[in-house]
Amino acid sequence: MELNANAFARNARKALSDKTLQEALGRTTGRFEAHRAAAVAGFPGFEAARERASAVKIDVLDHLGTYLGRFIEEAEKRGAVVHVARDAVQAREIAARIARDEGVTLAVKSKSMASEEISFNEALEAAGVTVVESDLGEFIIQLAGEPPSHIIAPAVHKTREEVSLLFERHLGEPRTDSIPELVGMARKHLRAKFLSAGMGVSGGNFLVADTGSVVLVTNEGNGRMGTVLPRVHLAVVGIEKVIPRMADLPTFLRLLPRSASGQTISSYVSILTGTKRAGDPEGPERMHILLLDCGRSAILEGKYREILKCIRCGACLNACPVYQSVGGHAYGWVYSGPIGAVLTPLLVGLPEASPLPDASTLCGACAQVCPVKIPLPDFLLELRSDARDQGLKTPGEIAGMKGYAGVMKRAGLLEAIERIAGVLGQFFTKGKGIAGLPYPFSGWTERRDFPAPAAQPFRKQWKIRRGVRG
Amino acid sequence: MNERESLFRRLSAPSGGHGAEAAGPLPEGAPTAAPGDVVARFAETFTAAGGFLLRGPAEAALSDLGEMLRAEGVTSLFFPDDDPVGREVAEALVPFGPFTLTTAAQVRGGSAEVTAGFRTAEAGIAETGTIVETSAGGKTLLPGLLADVHVSIVPISRVVARMEEALSPLASDMPRNISFLSGPSKTADIEQTLTVGAHGPKKAIALLLA
Repeated sequence: MELNANAFARNARKALSDKTLQEALGRTTGRFEAHRAAAVAGFPGFEAARERASAVKIDVLDHLGTYLGRFIEEAEKRGAVVHVARDAVQAREIAARIARDEGVTLAVKSKSMASEEISFNEALEAAGVTVVESDLGEFIIQLAGEPPSHIIAPAVHKTREEVSLLFERHLGEPRTDSIPELVGMARKHLRAKFLSAGMGVSGGNFLVADTGSVVLVTNEGNGRMGTVLPRVHLAVVGIEKVIPRMADLPTFLRLLPRSASGQTISSYVSILTGTKRAGDPEGPERMHILLLDCGRSAILEGKYREILKCIRCGACLNACPVYQSVGGHAYGWVYSGPIGAVLTPLLVGLPEASPLPDASTLCGACAQVCPVKIPLPDFLLELRSDARDQGLKTPGEIAGMKGYAGVMKRAGLLEAIERIAGVLGQFFTKGKGIAGLPYPFSGWTERRDFPAPAAQPFRKQWKIRRGVRG
Repeated sequence: MNERESLFRRLSAPSGGHGAEAAGPLPEGAPTAAPGDVVARFAETFTAAGGFLLRGPAEAALSDLGEMLRAEGVTSLFFPDDDPVGREVAEALVPFGPFTLTTAAQVRGGSAEVTAGFRTAEAGIAETGTIVETSAGGKTLLPGLLADVHVSIVPISRVVARMEEALSPLASDMPRNISFLSGPSKTADIEQTLTVGAHGPKKAIALLLA
């Protein structure tokens, strides 16, 4: 997927003035959050599961080579062929070669964020293979020629009217405003593809080391169709998705659907191990697993390694006030929301995505909902400081922050400034906000007024309040 | 040096993890098994997942099932060749509607009929309301995959409390496919409106057999 993360401010402004998008975001993120909260409240073991999942993932990071080695050994023992790609270029070459060697002309794909990282579809199209997205949301945006805007709800920004227009234009279906009818049209169209495709392409929610299994979690059943019916199954998965044991899987299955959509469990979990066995009436004759490094081993070495615990549930997106306002496209790459603001700079390099860590109020909601306890706000702060160290901040911003820190560390100085500002503020602004400041403060005031200073310093107000309340 | 070796060199360098097999002591897993009757719990959770539960094999259950299938516009019934209980239930249903029997191969060939697929489940999971189907022993998955309505036959002796109990007997000799099916195929991809029948069955029915 094309990278456009440095244009975050411009992208965000565009998103804020896009009425359709704002309507769609308003309809969805709040609902996701409410469903998640209800599911967590209904499961007393959630916190224990979270602790356990986090511990398992940290163990995986400590021994990634070991577990990955075991996974490859077990998968190949059962007939799978495992490929390793260092970067996106190599991954595209391998994927195209697999399709060519297997004689595939049509591939059906279920959702895979990892495949977006490497621009999988373009690689296969270039090799003469037609790739059809089979997740309904992905199918819709493929018809629209757009990238996904949410990890688990990629077409969250499209209304039913827009979907019907797309189905009319591309599938020749009559216009309708009935969502069940639209779903039926996609079902009919995609069923024919599942039955005729030579290859099913999937991602992988988990790789199980002690059995060599790829685990897929879906609600629609497309992941299931594409891994049972076609002759070849190709799974494209990041190396960090490995978990040690099949016995660990239930813990993660208790967390992922609840965190993602508030479901106790998703409609379908497929645990796929090797090729079809002798005597099996269906299942792929060939299974390829393409493991992506693409920057992950480098992250593992550094201070942000815990970001690799992520299970891609999307809970941090729905909890984030910035994501709720601007949606996914503004982040300019595959991953959006708090996870994207951390992961994108780490995968593509901070100079290519330096505004993303600033796209946060540091409110901490993301860390509260994360099912594997990734310290996202800490990482966002740390990345901002890395950006300064790498010369990615303007001198004005650095000077401003230094001055701010200098004042905030000295209570007396702060109080003195507050007193003066309070007097001047009351006099000049008459209690209204301050607008139209010159550079470098224009960055603040061009989009909102700076609040007028309070008449009395904070510490004085605090003392009075405490005094009043005894 | 090939890419695989190169990856392992990158991975082993910082963590020094080679040779380490199992994790140290982990926090306790989640307490998920509600005490009490697992079959009653399964009935609750399967329904909560959007499924319809019937208790068989009495005449009344068959009649209810026939009515549900007619309401969905089902005209053809199919079942695995090696599933005598599935066959028995499907055949017993024929008098309850204008239903004809067909084969999985015909459905896979792209039958235009509205179909119901019958299959005996390997397990039911009370924790989540899940039907477990596997390809172990050459069993087919098509009834729960291609049919418009999926009818799972669940012997009550196969209902287990948690996911762990369903997975552990399979782990020693993994089949190609273990599927957890919980309710109908659903999507909320258009305007977050929950709609059934995205790709798989629009209706999931479980027939509990004593």
